[in-house]
Amino acid sequence: MFGQDKGNMLIKNATVLTVTKGTLTETDVLVKDGKIAQIGKSIAAPQGVKVIDATGLFVMPGIIDAHSHIAIDGINEATSPVTAEVFEGDVVNPLQMGIYRALGGGVTAVHAMHGSANAIGGQCETLKLRWGTFDADAMKMEGAPRTIKFALGENPTRVHGEGNNIVPRTRMGVEFVIRKSFSDAKKYMEDWDAYNKNRQAPGFRGAAPVYNLRLETLADILKGNIIIHCHSYRADEIFMLLKVCKDFGIKRLTFQHVNEGFKVAPELAAFGAGASVFSDWWAYKFEVYYSTAYNAAILTKNGVVTSINSDDAEMMRHLYHEAGKTQKYGQLTDEEALALITINPAKQLGIDARTGSLEVGKDADIAIFKNHPLSIYGVPQFTIVDGIVRFDRANDPADMRLLVDPKQNLDETMFSEKGRDNCMDGTEFLFTDNSQGKK
Amino acid sequence: MIKKLLRPLVAGFAFCLAWPQLIFAQDEKPVAPVGRSYALTNATIIQAPGRKIEKGTVVMKDGLITAVGAGVTVPPDAIVIKADSMYVYAGFIDGLSHTGVPKPKEERTERPKDPGNPPPDKAGIMPQNDVRNLINPSDKSIEELRNLGFTVSLTVPYGTFLPGSGAVVLLGGKSADDMVLVNNAALYSELTGTQGVYPNTIMAVMAKWRELYKNATQNKSYAASYAANSNGISRPASDRILEAFYPVIDQKLPVIFKSERVMETQRVFTLKNDLGFPLIIGDVKEGWPIVNKIKSSNAKVFLSLELPEEVKKDDKKDDKGKSKKDSVKTDKPKTAIDIEKEGLEKRKKESIALYTSQPSVFNKAGITFGFSALSAKSKDIQGNLRRMIAAGLSEDAALAALTTSPAQLLGLDKRMGSIDNGKMANLVVSDKPYFNEKAKVRYVFVDGNIYKIEAKDEKKDAKAIAKGTWNYTSEHPTDKSGKIEIKEDKGKHSGTIASGSGSAVELKDVNLKDNSLTFSFEGSGGKQEVTVKIDGDNFDGTVKGSQGSFSIKAKRDPKSK
Repeated sequence: MFGQDKGNMLIKNATVLTVTKGTLTETDVLVKDGKIAQIGKSIAAPQGVKVIDATGLFVMPGIIDAHSHIAIDGINEATSPVTAEVFEGDVVNPLQMGIYRALGGGVTAVHAMHGSANAIGGQCETLKLRWGTFDADAMKMEGAPRTIKFALGENPTRVHGEGNNIVPRTRMGVEFVIRKSFSDAKKYMEDWDAYNKNRQAPGFRGAAPVYNLRLETLADILKGNIIIHCHSYRADEIFMLLKVCKDFGIKRLTFQHVNEGFKVAPELAAFGAGASVFSDWWAYKFEVYYSTAYNAAILTKNGVVTSINSDDAEMMRHLYHEAGKTQKYGQLTDEEALALITINPAKQLGIDARTGSLEVGKDADIAIFKNHPLSIYGVPQFTIVDGIVRFDRANDPADMRLLVDPKQNLDETMFSEKGRDNCMDGTEFLFTDNSQGKK
Repeated sequence: MIKKLLRPLVAGFAFCLAWPQLIFAQDEKPVAPVGRSYALTNATIIQAPGRKIEKGTVVMKDGLITAVGAGVTVPPDAIVIKADSMYVYAGFIDGLSHTGVPKPKEERTERPKDPGNPPPDKAGIMPQNDVRNLINPSDKSIEELRNLGFTVSLTVPYGTFLPGSGAVVLLGGKSADDMVLVNNAALYSELTGTQGVYPNTIMAVMAKWRELYKNATQNKSYAASYAANSNGISRPASDRILEAFYPVIDQKLPVIFKSERVMETQRVFTLKNDLGFPLIIGDVKEGWPIVNKIKSSNAKVFLSLELPEEVKKDDKKDDKGKSKKDSVKTDKPKTAIDIEKEGLEKRKKESIALYTSQPSVFNKAGITFGFSALSAKSKDIQGNLRRMIAAGLSEDAALAALTTSPAQLLGLDKRMGSIDNGKMANLVVSDKPYFNEKAKVRYVFVDGNIYKIEAKDEKKDAKAIAKGTWNYTSEHPTDKSGKIEIKEDKGKHSGTIASGSGSAVELKDVNLKDNSLTFSFEGSGGKQEVTVKIDGDNFDGTVKGSQGSFSIKAKRDPKSK
């Protein structure tokens, strides 16, 4: 299978930004079977292994985007406020051009998320950008923990409250929907536990509880098997979900966007919740007005595991610039800034044992830059996934599509509304009047 | 068995140029041939791929093949059809289509109060539906496919998600029951959601699929334990939706999925691997990139008979690639757009070649496959088969995919798929080898009943008229239906178009040449160019704009001409 494709190579004579073990000059990185086998000076190239001369170049861990919507067919199942049972891993599409473009920006892994239309959306999938395969399963990062998308605030209240006149219509309603879902899941779990226990008794002849995939999934959250990634903006709603999770004993939680995270940074740190933020994107709707470009720095200084994400196929290609902005605003060190797009998102996705830094034994997911990646002059030259070069700037044909639609016409430039995220894709029909049957 | 008289359909349309006819024995009055016995004599008989008899005879009686060979004597009661210089093949089998099922009208439904919990039928969950109740034996799709040599189809209901169960039907008969060979032959499913209600996205359809299957499994085992001993436990509820899955869970009934696209096919495999049902994938169009995955899935495969249209040679260009229109102008340097266009055209051509060579790729990979007519226009099917052969599929392999392979895949190889004694009398007779470009089907036998195919009228269609009120439907994402008004004044055409929800827009450059009508208009998505062929009171063609190219069909109010 394609996903098991692992490469060998030797990267020579680079400035190696390990992120977790300091910066090493004039250093080589040896890759064997898709893993980093050795980092050191003057490593001899094994017989027949590809050598990249990286003299004068910077080598960093592949960038990880903790919030994206690329490589999937379908973002929002916006028909119900709770859709925990749906799973983005079912609809991975390895043919989307956005994957290759992200590789062009040094990205090697993404968190392909459900949208934010529902209080409890669908499960997400962690993907490695193994461009070139038609096999959807080969894109999935084997062994990555399960994750699920939650959403607070205006998106669920607009879609379900305003759109369909059902709960939630307010922030209180969102809290109610989440609490009720967890309570139902708890009861469902208890019913099944009781049934499984009774079944052991000789002569037992009762009926099993009705199987419900939504409650099964919610029960898996309660059991700690699924990490919550919650779309959020305001400090009050962030704090609300911390309380809800405490009440239900849920510990694995990362907030997404978190524009007012800086107001509750100590509380986030105390809980152990992560924060995945924009560097300086805000004011695109009412609940996002109170924001600051110091957010990532304040969260970091308060000990919150913080990452910078894109939520956007274009921004994804320059996350290294986004990390660089935190130095202008928050004076973070190079390592703190690089951690925002490497080891920290890896921690938030539960894949830090294998990715997010350059260390012996980790996956060889590597980005090689001309000039320092945090400098405005940084340009990605090579992007390597599992030791295989998936993007090479010097060898980048104009048309990299894997499948060409025989009916396609020349694309015309589409101007889209600026500053629009993908979080609400698939909900448009709710905001148009299609009730033609009504008189 | 009483012979069913086949009367010609009332052909009110110019396109209905072929009809079934009984061949009468020199008699004015239709007399049912005693025992339905026919003999095709002196023909080249291709019993199965690689088994050929020169100057042979096939004898049929009571719907069965009773003799085949070179030295066969014709029984006295048989009606003899002299098939000198003709070619006889086993009747073709289509592995997935809606043949015989009239397309339901799209109804506009009100948005439900709670889109998250629609009634099952609104969500496309109707696995208990039986295609037998939906078949119309005089639906023209039956005749269209039969005229190409098809005698059997696995036909399924229209719909999304879980429209019901399909049946193997004969392409001829007076009632649905007449036609059905195998009822409940497969449970049909599409990974398509319903607009505005749950499940709306593919991922929700897949989640719901899993849940229904697990619910059915649980209900089934409870019902079994209740049947074994009902004393002291609550009765199981009756649930026709879940009960439709029971034979699937028992591995007795396969699920047949529409599986056109390369991702769709893989998603179907995801469900199969999760749940373990027997699987048929139908109308496969993009299987070649994952041919190994398909092979190792052990799913049964029916490849699509539809192919992307070939790039037409630009008739405006002469051999040197210069446009005749622009031949006055000197060669301008290529703009970036020209280069982009050329690159795209090159890749499109390569892409079309990949689609066309799919059957050859599957054949080389050693996968047994049949064909599916689900989305192919019947007028394209013969040409598409020839294109597949030109792209590397051997004629024998093509014939196998039309006869022996589908018979085997559907578990019907004892009854059909080859011309052998004791098999059903399903045959197709053509005047030249079937895959020859000029070959015409002359006779089709379905279950021993003869259908004579009249040679197509070569005469020109009556002059097309564009004037009138046309009600159109389109696959266009935002403009699904509406009205087009066309006026004519001394040969000059003008008109308006109004989509279902919008106001009327003026048509520009309305042109009618022979039966080809073209016009353009400013739609919501910018300029849209429409090209259609008029055929009586119908037209059919494409609408092209910045969003892409989509099909458009229309019917004219005959009074408005």
